Amino acid sequence: MSAQPAPRPSAERRASNLQKRVSVLPKPTSIILDPSVLIAQHAQLTGTHPITIGPNTVLHPHTKISSVQAPVVIGEGVVVYEKAKIGVGIGADTESESRRSSIAPAAGSRDSMRGDGTVLGPNVVVESKAIVEAAEIGEGSVIEIDVVVGKGCVIGKFCTISACCVLPPNTTVPDFTVVYSGSQRRIDRTIQSRPELQQAKMLMHAKQIEIFKKLIPNNVAKWT
Amino acid sequence: MAQPYPYTYYSCDCYDAKTTAGAAKRASAQLQAEDEDERTFDPRNPRSNFSLYPLEHLLYCEDCQQIRCPRCVIEEVLNWFCPSCLFEVPSSLVKSDGNRCTRNCYNCPICTSPMTVSSLDDPTNPSESGGPWILACPYCHWSTAETGIEFEKHTGITQQLSKVANGGKPIPTPKEREKERERRKELENRKSRDILSGSEDSPTQDQRRGDASPNLDDIYLNLAAFYKTQLVAQAPSNLFSPHDINFSSPSSYSRIMNLYSSTTSKKQRQKKAAPMREAALELEGLMIHDPSSDAAAIERIKKEGWGSTLSPAQKRAQPNPNIRFDTELRPVASLLMTKRGKRCRSCRHILSKPESKITSTRYKIKLLALQHIPRLSLRALTPTPPPGAPAATPFDYNALRSGIPAHFILHVSNPIFDPIRVTLATSSTTPGKVASRVTILCPQFEVGANTDVWDDALSSSLTPVKRASMLGPDGMPQIEAGKIWDRGRNWTSVVIEVVPGFLKDPLKKEDEELGEDEDVLEIPVFVRLEFESDVSAEDRGLGDSLGKKGERERREEAFWTVIGVGKIAPM
Repeated sequence: MSAQPAPRPSAERRASNLQKRVSVLPKPTSIILDPSVLIAQHAQLTGTHPITIGPNTVLHPHTKISSVQAPVVIGEGVVVYEKAKIGVGIGADTESESRRSSIAPAAGSRDSMRGDGTVLGPNVVVESKAIVEAAEIGEGSVIEIDVVVGKGCVIGKFCTISACCVLPPNTTVPDFTVVYSGSQRRIDRTIQSRPELQQAKMLMHAKQIEIFKKLIPNNVAKWT
Repeated sequence: MAQPYPYTYYSCDCYDAKTTAGAAKRASAQLQAEDEDERTFDPRNPRSNFSLYPLEHLLYCEDCQQIRCPRCVIEEVLNWFCPSCLFEVPSSLVKSDGNRCTRNCYNCPICTSPMTVSSLDDPTNPSESGGPWILACPYCHWSTAETGIEFEKHTGITQQLSKVANGGKPIPTPKEREKERERRKELENRKSRDILSGSEDSPTQDQRRGDASPNLDDIYLNLAAFYKTQLVAQAPSNLFSPHDINFSSPSSYSRIMNLYSSTTSKKQRQKKAAPMREAALELEGLMIHDPSSDAAAIERIKKEGWGSTLSPAQKRAQPNPNIRFDTELRPVASLLMTKRGKRCRSCRHILSKPESKITSTRYKIKLLALQHIPRLSLRALTPTPPPGAPAATPFDYNALRSGIPAHFILHVSNPIFDPIRVTLATSSTTPGKVASRVTILCPQFEVGANTDVWDDALSSSLTPVKRASMLGPDGMPQIEAGKIWDRGRNWTSVVIEVVPGFLKDPLKKEDEELGEDEDVLEIPVFVRLEFESDVSAEDRGLGDSLGKKGERERREEAFWTVIGVGKIAPM
């Protein structure tokens, strides 16, 4: 980490001139961690905007959280699996051509005027290799493996985005929706009409977090 | 079968025309057969397309000593099983219950993925039986709870499902339906009598109108019962004709017995049988279209939106394909799969038989053409660059250059345990619009037997032809006519020279459009094998003793192959 007592260059310039020597680790004051967070080894938190992580969150190894362009807020009980990437601008190097077949038709105008930034609600699960640049993800939602959620998307609560789906930027997904088979959607009425199923799901989620806490060595000291 | 170039297809000559020649046509059929032999095989002929297969697709019948293609084998079902639960279903049950799984295997009506039986139990307060159960789809998250169906136990889903309609209403069993039908018939009779007598409407009529419209199962059963009564009521035209008498039907039996019974029985008036008619009432299975149901459907679409309707694929998979909305969906039972064995069409010899254990993919009997027919494969002959020079670009089979002779190595490998003599024949120009000139430089050669490696090493075998010594002065390999290119233990390779033709004749002024795939260069090659093999047990005469083991029999096999070389690039 380069210690520069002289006046630092502005945040934008630092972020854009990514040389190997210049560290992009956020300043210690811009990461706000709850003490019960579990951050595994090889997880990366980069960027200068504030990153807030709620209690009981689990970040698996090799996850990347980037607040280079906008702040990131992660709610409580969120589980982020290996090689997932969260943050606006983080998926810039993915080849969107290879995913043409599974891309849903893009929404016309911007569905929501939201400020830049990524907010993950409580108990969200982001599975391996997913890229989440969304503006907001509601509580209890599951973003499955290899999903690309574009910038500015708003996803409701208890949604499921099935594996390998691609959500173009600025789409809105209402509550309790299941996005499957690339671009098809349906409302999951089973879980919508039965709150006890929602509670059961959250119970299982809490149990899973307990097991992660026992199995994954915690490297949170590096970031506090 | 789009394979990358170069490929080799084998032709199976299992013509239907040869077997169905009638007596009057025999002369013409023979002529035609002779014509076939003399004509070169034309791979562009639409008919020949159906007889060409890669070697891996062909089986071989040892009794007929012939190739058998997928068209000339008979398949027979060995066993039926469900792909989700891997449970074997005996064929008698398949005949009675149908070709779907009758245990717990259901597919989601929305996304067709297999559904799991899940419990709606509260994990903090578990109930005794495990709570109500539902079928839930793990992919699109549809569940039977959306249509209001819940099960009491997690086994026997089919039985429980047949008793519950969407929304939780119970479906009556066939016995109850029978009773219902009888009861309604009585009401009908009573009502018609009432009308004749001019009385007021009985209250039972209102009750009948109050019932919901009969569902598809009811209609089907009513119709089946109606047709049965019609068949029974049909009196035979001639009592003694063997066709009409149905001895299993009690009414015709009793009629015959009456004739032979006591002579004092009064003569029954021959009633003229009413002709068979179609169903005329709802009770008999007639579906009367109600225009108000259409209006109701339109209102429903207006209210719930297009998302609540079903796609044609989803409707087709349902047991009742006339439904329109997603609340009428039923889980679809998994279709059963079969394990099949194959037999030769003419001699019924078993060619392939899988193991009867469902989870094993092995075969008990496997008679493949790969083990009896030599494999021909083509490779381009590129000059090896002298050491130190940069590697040559790989040969592009998709861009053959017209008019420039290209050399290819044809590799023939022998799978049988005897040495064979191979004769290759091809016409000098390929048939079709684009005529390319083909020359096989060594049409007759021998290929060694497929012996063990040790046998070969111990015995003094043919000295391998050294290719390096054949290099000419300029580094290009010397190609000599009449000599093979290379040889190994059980393979030989020879050189073929091909001059691809021109796609468009430069002399012709008209612009002829080339058809699809006419620029593909395909060479039909006639392969003839001669070899000596041990006499098989069945061919031996009755008087032969076992002492004549060393007798060898000359055998000959011949077939057409088509070697696809590549695409000719437009100039």
